[in-house]
Amino acid sequence: MLKIDHLTKRYGATVAVDDLDFEVKPGVVTGFLGPNGSGKSTTMRVILGLDHPTKGRVTIGGKEYRELKDPLREVGALLDAKAVAPGRTARNHLRALAASNNIKRSRVDEVLEFTGIAAVANKKVAGFSLGMSQRLGIAGALLGDPGVLLFDEPVNGLDPEGIRWIREFFRSLANEGRTVFVSSHLMSEMAVSADQIIVIGRGKFITQGSVDVLTATAKGSVFVRTSDNTKLTSTLRTRHGVVHEINDNGLSVEGLSSDDIGRAAFESGIAILELTPQRASLEEVFMDLTADAVEYGGHAIDKTSDE
Amino acid sequence: MNNEETLLSVTKSEWIKFRTVRSTIMGVIVFAVLTIGLGVLITATIRAHWATADFGRRLTFDPVSTSLAGVLFAQFAVGVIGSLFITSEYSSGAIRTTLTAVPHRLELALAKLLVLVLSMLVVCEVVCIATFLIGQAIFAGVVTPTASLSNGADLRAVLLAGVYLALLAVLGFSLGLILRQSAACISVFVSILLIVPIIMLLLPQSWQNSYEKFEPSNLGTSMMSVTPRADLFGTWSALTVLLVYVVVVFGVGVTMLQHRDA
Repeated sequence: MLKIDHLTKRYGATVAVDDLDFEVKPGVVTGFLGPNGSGKSTTMRVILGLDHPTKGRVTIGGKEYRELKDPLREVGALLDAKAVAPGRTARNHLRALAASNNIKRSRVDEVLEFTGIAAVANKKVAGFSLGMSQRLGIAGALLGDPGVLLFDEPVNGLDPEGIRWIREFFRSLANEGRTVFVSSHLMSEMAVSADQIIVIGRGKFITQGSVDVLTATAKGSVFVRTSDNTKLTSTLRTRHGVVHEINDNGLSVEGLSSDDIGRAAFESGIAILELTPQRASLEEVFMDLTADAVEYGGHAIDKTSDE
Repeated sequence: MNNEETLLSVTKSEWIKFRTVRSTIMGVIVFAVLTIGLGVLITATIRAHWATADFGRRLTFDPVSTSLAGVLFAQFAVGVIGSLFITSEYSSGAIRTTLTAVPHRLELALAKLLVLVLSMLVVCEVVCIATFLIGQAIFAGVVTPTASLSNGADLRAVLLAGVYLALLAVLGFSLGLILRQSAACISVFVSILLIVPIIMLLLPQSWQNSYEKFEPSNLGTSMMSVTPRADLFGTWSALTVLLVYVVVVFGVGVTMLQHRDA
């Protein structure tokens, strides 16, 4: 279990992460979602002890990362697939990692085999495509057979087949009871690969929940077409609905459920011709949630040290 | 598992990393070629002109340090090996993978130090002894006196030449911990060895006399001489001063490694 405990991280004047506080539970894939520059990578780096928190702490099974003995046996991480010495072969890279954490050498061949890069194990990493590097990074993360796995933007640079492979892979890791924490700036990706989603923006916690709950709580709209749109509009406005006229003589209503609208029409003697709740897509939910928290909006330029 | 065992496994890991990159292999080759090659060139030139050398020169002739003169050029290769051992990890980003595997940063620095000191000692001693033996073989029969490893003072000078080089590798590594960039680190290393003595020449003569002996390359000269120059440090004092430099810079480097974000 991974616990982020009131974590704040400042780089000079820039607040990259602002009082984040949540838990990531085992057995499910947890998505960590936010626009670019929202502090996802910073959080990942603090979890792994690479950056020092300004305030708060992160614990894995009750211990800080730096207190872990042979940390690769407890936490596997893929932050940046290209962060490998280019002149070394894939096998030597993994052998060195294994040696540092007392992992037996045969495990190197196992993970090379599992990630499908055994054939290029003796080639220098410099010649690897991004996809192959991602696989090598995953091999490194799995080396110690850890209970907690962290992946920062893992689908970047993968081909569709690789993306499908990695989704099934996350699922199987979670099914084995592991804690799987995956960051992404793509809501659509999280919608298919994660069970739980934590949304942040500008370093701040926004919301947390299952994919279904997040879409359900989003403010949806209802499309309605009636015999007398003008009369219904005024009726609904007295009931605090937000009504927009749209094409085909229809109305788009926000703030009222389809039940409310149906009853209002009945009471006013208006015949309903069509009544359709418009469920918000996850993408819209995300845009809506993070609208105030987009670091690189089209309208303003702001500085940040996170990427 | 106790700390010694952990340090041992981290050291094993760093040893794998050290010997599986080309910069190390190339550095060692350049170092060996420079030391032996320049040694051969210098000793052969001296042999060829020995008949015409003046009396004073013959009287103060040191067959040991002369045969090892290539060391003063090759020391830059050693510094580069030490620097790149850490700065290459920063430039590729591999340092983040390393620190994820070994979050205890003091332990990481000590493991790297062990690997660097032990491997460079072996390489440098072997190359220095070989250079010395080749030099003496070239001198034999023409240039006198010659030196021999069976002579305690000669053996000490040859072995300390290797120690000097290994310590310079550690100096390069320690600068790398502080500066984190290969180019910056190598520039500073070269400046310390080459530019500081030039600046020294611009200072008043009395200052030169007092401070010249503190220059790292003069410490090296003292260490690898059978009878060091009177105005420089003696052999063991020179080793002590160099050790102090290296320990201080390494200490600063480790402290910065521990306190900075990676």
